[in-house]
Parts: sequence; C-alpha cells; structure tokens
Amino acid sequence: MRKRIARQFIFLLFAALVFSTLFVAAGRATTLARLSLEQLAAGSAAVARVRCTGVSSRWENGSIWTLVEMNVLETMKGNLPQNITVRLPGGRVGHLTAAVDGTPRFAPGTQAILFLQPSRAGGFTIAGWVEGTFRISRDPRTGGETVTQDSSAFATFDAAARAFRTEGIRRMPVNVFRARVAAAVARNDGRTR
Amino acid sequence: MSVRRHRPGCKVSRLRTAVSLSVASLFLLQITAAYTGAYDLGTIVADMTQAPERSGGTSCPQLTRFDISTPGSINRQWSTSLSTSPATILTAEITTDGQINEIQNAIQESLAVWTGVSGSLLTPASLGPLQQTSLTGACSSTDGLNSICFDQNDPGFTLGVLAFTRVVSADTIGQQLSPGTPPSTFVGEILDADTLLVPNDPNTTFATPAALASHPDSYDLESILTHELGHSFGFNHSGVWGAMMFPFAPSPGHVAGTRPTALAPDAPLSDDDRTGLRVLYPDPSDSVHIGAISGRVLPANPLALPISPIGVTGIFPAQVVALNDATGTVAAAVTAGWSCGDPGPAQFDGSFSLQRLAAGSAQSYRIYAEPLDGPVTLGRVIGNMTSLCRNSTSDPEWPAQYACTVPAPAAPFSARVRASP
Repeated sequence: MRKRIARQFIFLLFAALVFSTLFVAAGRATTLARLSLEQLAAGSAAVARVRCTGVSSRWENGSIWTLVEMNVLETMKGNLPQNITVRLPGGRVGHLTAAVDGTPRFAPGTQAILFLQPSRAGGFTIAGWVEGTFRISRDPRTGGETVTQDSSAFATFDAAARAFRTEGIRRMPVNVFRARVAAAVARNDGRTR
Repeated sequence: MSVRRHRPGCKVSRLRTAVSLSVASLFLLQITAAYTGAYDLGTIVADMTQAPERSGGTSCPQLTRFDISTPGSINRQWSTSLSTSPATILTAEITTDGQINEIQNAIQESLAVWTGVSGSLLTPASLGPLQQTSLTGACSSTDGLNSICFDQNDPGFTLGVLAFTRVVSADTIGQQLSPGTPPSTFVGEILDADTLLVPNDPNTTFATPAALASHPDSYDLESILTHELGHSFGFNHSGVWGAMMFPFAPSPGHVAGTRPTALAPDAPLSDDDRTGLRVLYPDPSDSVHIGAISGRVLPANPLALPISPIGVTGIFPAQVVALNDATGTVAAAVTAGWSCGDPGPAQFDGSFSLQRLAAGSAQSYRIYAEPLDGPVTLGRVIGNMTSLCRNSTSDPEWPAQYACTVPAPAAPFSARVRASP
C-alpha cells in the first residue's frame, strides 16, 4: 500500500514537473507577454473598476481605433477622473473592419476591472490587453460578484493529456481579487520607495 | 452515436466528452448547412442593407481571406527602418547590407512556412515579390500594402504587447480602402494586413535564426513573424497547445516547433494550422484532405440553454477538437456552436464541422468538446459579435430577416455530442 502511494506521489511529482516545464517553455506570447498580477500592477498607472458607457470606432493616422467610454466606479491604484476613454486598436468604420486578435471588446453596461496605462494618442490603454481585463459578473449559484480574466477565456487543448485546461484568474470573488490587487500594489510601492 | 464520458464524476462545468469516429464512414456525415463552424478563422457578416450585388446576398458569416485568384496578388513589403538604440532586431551579420539580407531571409522563410502547406492554393506563386521601403511608418491600413514594420512605435503597443497584426477586411463587394486602391471582389476580402513588432524596448529584442544562439534572451524572429503572418492570412488564435497560432509562443531563445527545411517548409506548423489553411484557401484538386466530421454539442439538460435570444438550441460557444487516433496529434480544432445556410442569419444550434481532414480507411479521429460556459468567454466572444451577427443595435436599418444576436454564455453545462444525421 505504501509502495503504491509512493509510486502515485512520484508520478504526480513527475507530472507536475512536466507541466511546469511546459509552462516555462511557453512563458511569453507572440503578441502578448504573459504577465503576473504583480507585473500588471507594477506596469499600470491606474487600476479601476469601470462600467462601459459607449463604444465608437474611427480612423486616426492611417488605422482604425475603438474608443471605449468608461465610467470609473472604484479606483484601486492611481488617480482617475470620473469618466475616461480607453483606446484599443481595431474596430469597424463603414464597410471596413480592422481586426487585432488579443484586444478585449466591450459593450455598454459591461463592468470590468482594468489595468490602465496612459496612451500616447490620448486617453488610456489596457496593459496586456486581454490580460489586463477582468470582467465582473454575478455567480448564479452564490449571487456574489466574481472576476474573470479575459485571457483565461482560452481553454487550451493539450493533446498529450487529452484534456482542456485554462489558466489565469477565473470566477474569483471580487473582494478576494481586490485584496490581491491591493497587496500587489503595496508590494510594488514598497519596492519603488 | 454513442458518447463516452471520460470522468462522470468531474465538475459539470468542466465536463469533457469524447467520441471516436472513423473518417472512412464520415462521408455520410456531410454537413447539411452551407457553412458551419469557423476553425479559428476570422469571419465577417456582409452589410445586408446593401443591394445583393454588393452584399453577396447572404448574411452568413464569411471567412476573411486574401483574393488569390491571380498569381502574385498578395503584395508584400517590409520597412528597412530599424531602431538602433536600443536595437530591436539582432542579426549575426554586422554590416548594414548583411543585416538587411538576414532579416529579409527570415521574412521569406516565415512566408514560405504558410505557402508550403499541401492541399492549399496559397502557394509561393500567390505572393508578389517582397519589396523594401525605407519608410518608418509604412504600416498604414489605408495603402493596401501588406507591410511588416520593426520601427513603428504605434500607440497600440502597451505593457506586454510584443507584436500585433492589423487585418482590414471589407463587408461589401467593391469597397476600397482609399482612392486608387483595388476594390474588394468578395465579402471578407482582406485588403490590408500590417504586422508590427514592438520597437525601442530595451527589454525586448528579436533575433534572426542565425543570431538566436548567441542572443538567448531574444525572441526568435522567425517564430514571431510566422505567427503574425498567420493572422495576416486570416487566422485567429488557436486553442491547441503547440499550434503556431496558439497565442503564447516560445520563451526567449526558443523556437516554435521545428525550423523549416527545403523538404519541409511547413515544418513549424501543427496539423491544426495546416487544416485551417486548407479551409481558408482550399485546393479543389486535393484528394487527401477530403474528410469532414460534423455534429452538434448539446446540453444534457435543454433547460440550461439561454432563454434569450430566442432560438438557441445548442451550446455556443464550444471548443471542439479532432484528435488523430494513430498519431495522437490534434488534426483540427474549431470554436463552434453555430451553423448558417444561405441567406442566413447564423443559427446557434451547437453545430460544429471539422473539415479538410485526411480521409481513408486508416484514418480515425477522437472528438473532444469543451463548452465555453462561463463569464470567462465574454471577452473573446464579444469580439466575435459583429463577425457572426448583426442587427438593429449594431446597425440601424438592419433588415429584421437577417438579424441575429450572439447568445451570452449561460450556466455551466453538462454536454453531450451528437453526430449529424
């Protein structure tokens, strides 16, 4: 019995090693670098809970941009005005659509916690695009609010394991997430002081 | 078709289903709709407020792809403007001409990866000659030139963004980007696709294949370009681990897949990438990849389907994967859950269709389906809203008969897979 448990432990250890090796090997993205919550917090000028109030797209300097109007509901880092504009590449103008895979899209009414950086073209942009976007929804079972990272939408199929898996933050209670953001911001403040 | 649940006791929201199918018998499972599924390919819905000669007469989502009916029709250029302080592209050669040649070779090899896939009409002859420009801001969506830029500090770059590709397509026939550029000849035609790599970032460099070994902290330029060029040809990200279009590439110093060779120019690609390309640019004379597996992903409890919008009869979205039984590799994967028969609109009936699979008595596949059943899918799906459906909310004056609404993900599902009759 002990031998069996030991064998199982060794197998699990080996599986964990293989799994972690795979993740280290694929640690960065073609379009996006994989960012931890600490990296997102450190690299963002502001972190805020926002509600989308409007979306529009237009041509600017030879490319199509989507401008998302956001109402700031709560600020977790930095100082923001009550209303901000988030600028993202891509969108539809007239009969032309510019697609940029990896950018989040918003509809009026959507609530999210965003990691924001000032955009050189005005307004803000989202750090890491889908990685810095955490949607807020209500858990139908508990009624509580949860956050889910956009980049965790990607259910990955691993042929070796013959299974789907996801990464990132999924269905985390808002209060827990808020505490984690606060801790990440505090750690970063401590380092930069 | 029988369904075998792998882990009956697992959480309902993470249920996996698998079905073993033989492609030899799949000719009976031909798709009934004009088009279902989308692999992970870009789609667009025609503007149905226009006359049929402009809209094509159907509101079914159309694949976004280049017009390759004429040899050399995909023009290409790259900007030789390179940031030097700090350097973005690292080469083995140190002379200016040598650097330019080395980078150009990396671009050519990355393109050849995609034009080297058998069973696709995207061939080296589809591409025009690779031109050079000294313009720093060559990546403009208005010029109709498919450009690669290494020194254009686009405001789109933000923390963590290494590279991106902006793909502009038309939702009507006869649409121009700007005066003087050629008009679109079909709905979904890609009129401009520009790839930008982040410049002037002291923490991010890209090395050519010849320079990678001596710069292990750099990203492999060829891997990054091959992935981005996949976007330019019409691909979205793939959910298959190890696919070239998987959003996360190797860490610095590593290569995606294996290097291309003269005998295997498409070696870096996975079968999922190849299958997607065959769907995008099919070769009618291909006699190997003629198999198709189609079916529906349905909830075990139909009451779990969303009440609104009306008419949702299957799970949307779902990720469906065909695993080659013999090799254990993924033959194809699609983000599915809808179907469409002309003149549309799309129906959210849980349909999937895996097309252009190798067929024959020796070929058998196992199907895995994962309902994307939580708020987690919203970010990704919202991007697809206008690419699958349009309505009076997205477009005032939209004809009601062509309107549809992408359903929001509902409660966690318990799913079963059913083959088409």
